[in-house]
Amino acid sequence: MGPLIPNGIIPIEWDSIIAILIGIVFGFVLESSGFSSSRKLAGVFYGYDFAVLKVFFTAAVVSLIGVYYMDYLGYLDITQLYVHPLYLWGAIIGGIIMGAGFVAGGFCPGTSLCAVAIGKIDAIVYVVGIMIGVFIFSELFPIIEPIYDGYFYGNLTLQDSLGINPYWLVFIFSIIAIVAFVIADMVRKRIKNVFY
Amino acid sequence: MVEKKTAKVLNFRYAFLAAILILLAGGLVLLPKYQKHEGIKPQVLLSKVISQERYISTDLIADKLISRDPSFILIDVRDEESYANYSLPNAINIPLKKLLDEDSKVYLNQNQFDVVFYSNDNFYADQAWILCSRLGYKNLRVLKGGTNRWFSTIINPQVPSENKTAEEFELFTTRKAASMYFGVIYPDQVASKDSEVKIEAPKKVITVRKKKKKAPEGGC
Repeated sequence: MGPLIPNGIIPIEWDSIIAILIGIVFGFVLESSGFSSSRKLAGVFYGYDFAVLKVFFTAAVVSLIGVYYMDYLGYLDITQLYVHPLYLWGAIIGGIIMGAGFVAGGFCPGTSLCAVAIGKIDAIVYVVGIMIGVFIFSELFPIIEPIYDGYFYGNLTLQDSLGINPYWLVFIFSIIAIVAFVIADMVRKRIKNVFY
Repeated sequence: MVEKKTAKVLNFRYAFLAAILILLAGGLVLLPKYQKHEGIKPQVLLSKVISQERYISTDLIADKLISRDPSFILIDVRDEESYANYSLPNAINIPLKKLLDEDSKVYLNQNQFDVVFYSNDNFYADQAWILCSRLGYKNLRVLKGGTNRWFSTIINPQVPSENKTAEEFELFTTRKAASMYFGVIYPDQVASKDSEVKIEAPKKVITVRKKKKKAPEGGC
């Protein structure tokens, strides 16, 4: 049956509208759970607030389990889902730059726009910084291009590269998530005196 | 008192949620596995098999070949030897054994061209058609009657007897013309050619050179 749009159950013309609606809901949830505060986001790195880790890890695990159950029951064809292509060094270098920006600015691109929406000045500065970064990237693109297009490994998933049964992978992944949450809580209890 | 009790229960809420998570994930591991269908559903395949839509006539293929229609590729599913002996123009040879190879996928699993299978009759071509449709490939056709019918209709069309309709005569002349396109020479054609063709003296062509306009130079 699913995915709904590729199989024609929802006409393809609706995809932008659905994307906008999901985007609005996503932004609303981000803001209402306090993710538009750079202090909360930066807390992951300093160890006084692990909300980001917990939220995104939980989201990943829950959707993973849900997708595999729906695939098992025949509501969703997992082979039709989009798998992001792997450009190894592009991903590593981009991830480091993104992480540095995350620590320094206290936002990720999504939450920065959320924070702009509620009028935070630091977020506005951050978004201007993103624009400058995009400009620099575009200007340097001819130099960066070999890394950007190179080291291509196809649309890999963990189950392909590790060769494990996907169901076991989900199980192991959810145990890792729970262990991570417990450790995060222990760390947070040690560092109590941070006020934010 | 009540609040204290609920608070006590709520203390365990994260442990409870974690337990649910592990239960669900473990459930995935423990579920009995079953073989999934690859490609389209059996019902869809059956309805496609019953339908005659996949067949394409030799006349249509001849017409497409003559008009150099770029929208289709011919695939010969016979073995290499028969392919080397005779095949339709611009056909690609993918023997039935190699149909599911990775190399043949490029030709079969695409959306740009119609794929027309053919063999000596349409028997092997039908098999190829079923295998590929089962995998969900699109725009597949089968040449009705295969190369045998190609010979009996296009290459060597039968002269209709005198009591046949005008349409059949018309069809015959079209097929005859098509066969001439594919290289068949008829005796009447050769004879008539000799008598009719006159050699005309080639006209001398005098080309007039036009003066080239000079591009404006300089100026403002």
